Amino acid sequence: MRAALGKDMASGLIVPVAILLAWQALAWRAGTPLFPGPWQVSLSIWKLWPAITGQIGYTLMRAFAGFLVAAVLMIPLGILLGRLKTVGRIVEPMMDMLATLPPPAVVPIVMLFAGTGDIAKIVIIAYAAAVPLIMNTYEASKSLHLMANQVARSLRLTRLETMLHIDLPASLPMIATGLRLAIASALLVSVTSEMLLATNGIGVFIQRQQENFQIAGGLAAIAFISVIGLIINNLVFQLERRWLFWHYRSSESHSDG
Amino acid sequence: MDIVLKVDGLTKSYGRGADAVKVLGGISFEVGQGEFVSVVGPSGCGKTTLLFAIAGLHSLTSGSVRLKGQLVTAPPRGVAVVFQDYSRSLFPWKNNRDNVAFGMARIAGRSTGEKRARAEAMLEAVGLGGFGDKYPWQLSGGMQQRVAIARALASESELLLLDEPLAAVDAQTRSDMQDLLLDIAIRFRQTCLLVTHDVDEAVYMADRVVVLTRRPTTVDHEIRIGLGKKRDQIATRENPVFLKARHDVMTSIRNFRAAAPADALA
Amino acid sequence: MSAGSLTSFSALHRLNAVVSFLVIAAAWQLVAISGVVPAKYFPDIPAIASAFWSMLASGELPGAELRTLTRALTGLAGASILGIGLAVLSDLSPVFRRGFAPVAALVQPIPPAALVPMAVFMLGLGPRLYAFIIILVTVWPPYFNGVAALAGVPGEQIRSGQMMALGRWQMLWQIKLPAALPEIFAGIRYASTISLIAVVVAEMLAGHDGLGFLLIRKAFAIRIPEVYALMFVCALNGILMNGIIGLLRWQLTGWHMRMTEQPA
Repeated sequence: MRAALGKDMASGLIVPVAILLAWQALAWRAGTPLFPGPWQVSLSIWKLWPAITGQIGYTLMRAFAGFLVAAVLMIPLGILLGRLKTVGRIVEPMMDMLATLPPPAVVPIVMLFAGTGDIAKIVIIAYAAAVPLIMNTYEASKSLHLMANQVARSLRLTRLETMLHIDLPASLPMIATGLRLAIASALLVSVTSEMLLATNGIGVFIQRQQENFQIAGGLAAIAFISVIGLIINNLVFQLERRWLFWHYRSSESHSDG
Repeated sequence: MDIVLKVDGLTKSYGRGADAVKVLGGISFEVGQGEFVSVVGPSGCGKTTLLFAIAGLHSLTSGSVRLKGQLVTAPPRGVAVVFQDYSRSLFPWKNNRDNVAFGMARIAGRSTGEKRARAEAMLEAVGLGGFGDKYPWQLSGGMQQRVAIARALASESELLLLDEPLAAVDAQTRSDMQDLLLDIAIRFRQTCLLVTHDVDEAVYMADRVVVLTRRPTTVDHEIRIGLGKKRDQIATRENPVFLKARHDVMTSIRNFRAAAPADALA
Repeated sequence: MSAGSLTSFSALHRLNAVVSFLVIAAAWQLVAISGVVPAKYFPDIPAIASAFWSMLASGELPGAELRTLTRALTGLAGASILGIGLAVLSDLSPVFRRGFAPVAALVQPIPPAALVPMAVFMLGLGPRLYAFIIILVTVWPPYFNGVAALAGVPGEQIRSGQMMALGRWQMLWQIKLPAALPEIFAGIRYASTISLIAVVVAEMLAGHDGLGFLLIRKAFAIRIPEVYALMFVCALNGILMNGIIGLLRWQLTGWHMRMTEQPA
C-alpha cells in the first residue's frame, strides 16, 4: 500500500518536472537575463526575500482590513435583508448589478475621492470582498427552512434565540462560502489596487522590478503571491471543513439516498 | 434446447494476497434458449457482481462465461443489460426515442430512419407509444424503466440481463411491470436472466430459480418452476407449486443468513 | 410546458429588475439634488446621462466598448475550449491530472494585474497580451468543473456505453461530455465575470485602449460624470456577457435546465 502511494506521488511529479525542465531549456536557449529560467527565479527569491516579505506584509494587512470591514458590514446587512422580504426583493437586482461591476472599475472613482493611500485601497478591497459576502449571506438568510421556524415556534423561542440557535447555524455553510470567496477576492484586489494606486506593497514591488527589467525579480514576487494565496486559501478551506464538518457529512449522506 | 449462456466455475476476488476478498467462489449454471431464469441469494452475496461478470463488464478471477459457445471477455454483442437505477442509466440529454435507438449502436447496416422506426416500435411494445419525443426525466419511475427495457430490446440481444430492475419502482407499478416483462419475454422469445433479492418475484417470473449461498458465493441448488409461461398475479401466487417453491427458496436463504456473522452485509 | 414557464419567470424577473433600477435611480437623483454630498462628487442623473451621450456621440465609447467586449468574449471562448481540453486530458490520463494539479493550484491565485507588466514586456500591446492574461486567469473554472463533472458521470451511463462497445473517444464524445456540459457551463458563467475583470484591469494597466483605459483617462481629467457613466457601462457589460452565455447555455444544455426546474 505504501509502495502504491509512493508511485502515485512519483507519477504526479512527472508533469511539473517536465514543465520546469522545458522552461529551463528555453531560458538557456534565449540566453538573456530578460528570459529567466526557474533557476534564475529561485536565486531571485533567495536574494530578494527580505524585500518581498516586507512588501507583502503591507498587502496582507490591507487585505485583511478590507475583508474585516466588509464582513462586519455585510453579514448583518445580508441577514437583515433576507428577513425583510419586500426590501430584499427590491434590492436584489441592485445587488446583481453590483456583482457585475468589476472591482477595478471602482478604482478611478475611489481615487478621485480618497487619493491613493491606505484608506483608498482598503475601501476598494472592502468593496470587492463585500460582493460575495452580501450575496451569499442574503441567499442563506432568504432560504432559511420553513420547518426550522416551526420548530422554533413550537419550542417558544424568542426572536433572538431563534436567530442565534437556529438561523445562524443553518446559514453558516453558505456564509462560509461567501467568506472564502471574500478572502480570495480581498487578496487579489489588494495586489491589484497597489498596482493601480502605487505607494507600497507587493504590487508596487512587481512594477518596480519590471521597470528595471528585473524579470526574474518580478517572477519571484509573483511566485510568492501565488504561494501565499495557495496557503491562505487552503487554510480557509481546512478550517471550513473542520468547523462545518456536520454540513459536509449530512450532505454526503443525502446524496446517497 | 440450445444453450445460450454457460457459466462455468466463475470466481471473482478483489484485492491481492492476504487482503483478497473472494466474493464469488465458483458459480456454474446454464440458461437455455427462451428460458426465464431468476437468480436469488442472501444480501451481499454478490448478485450484481455476478451479473456484471456475465455481461463482460467485470473480469473473472477464474472460470469462464460462454455466450452461445463463445468465450466472454468484454461486453459481447448478444447481451443487453437493464440496470436497477433507471434515472442514472438513461441519457437525460436524449429523448426517449433516441435513448432506445442507442441500444442499436452495435447493429450495423441499418439506416437512421430504420433505427428510428424500430425505436418507436420498441416503445410501443412496452406501452409507451407516442412518448418518443419526451425526455426520460419527464416520465415516472416505472415508465423510465420501461424505456430502459425498450432500449435493451432494441439491441436484438440473445440474452437479456436484468439487475434488480424493479427494486426502485413502487409496489403497485412493480406487479404491472413484472407482467410486462413476462409478456415481452414470450412475445419476443427473449432469453432472460433476472437477478433479484425479492423471492416472490424470482419465483413468479421464472421457469427456473438459481439459489445462491452467501459469500464466497456458489450455487446452492436450482429449482424448476413447473408453472408454464402464463402467470397471473393472484392465481399464480396462490398456486401450491408456487408456494412450495417459494417456501424452498425462503428457507434456504434464511438458513444462509442465520449462519452468517453480523457483518455479512459488508 | 417548461419553456413557457421559464420565459414567464424571467419576464417577471426582468420587470422586477427594471422597477428596482428606477427606484434606485430616483433615490440617487434625490440624494444628488438634496446636496447632502457635494455636487462635484455626486452628479445627478441628467449630468451622468449627458456625459454618457457625449461619449457615445464622439465615438469614444463605442470604440472602447467594442474592443473590451471582443477581448473578453474571445478570451473567454479560448479559455473555455482550453479548459475543457485540459479536463478531457485529465480524464484520460490520471498521471496528467495528478501532475497538472500543482500547476493549477499555483497559477490560479495569481491576480491578473500582477501578470500585466511582464506580459506587456513579453507580448507587447496587441491582442496576444489580452489573450494571455484572460486565458491564464479564466481557464480554471471550466477546467475544475470539467474534471469534477467528467469524473461524476453516473456509472450506469458509462456501463451502458461499455455494453455498446464504445471506444474511449466515443465514450467521451457521446456520453461523458454531454453529461458534463451543464456543470462545465456553470464554470464558464463564473469565468465570464472573471474575464471582464481581467480585461478591464489589463486595459487600465497597459494604458492603451478599451474601457479600462478610458476610465483612467476620464479619471485623470477629473470628468466625474463620465467616470460614473463608464462604471455603469462596465456593469452593463457583465449583464450582457451573462446574457450571451445564458443563450449558449440554453442551446447546448437546455435539457438540463428544463430537467432541474421540473418539480421532483
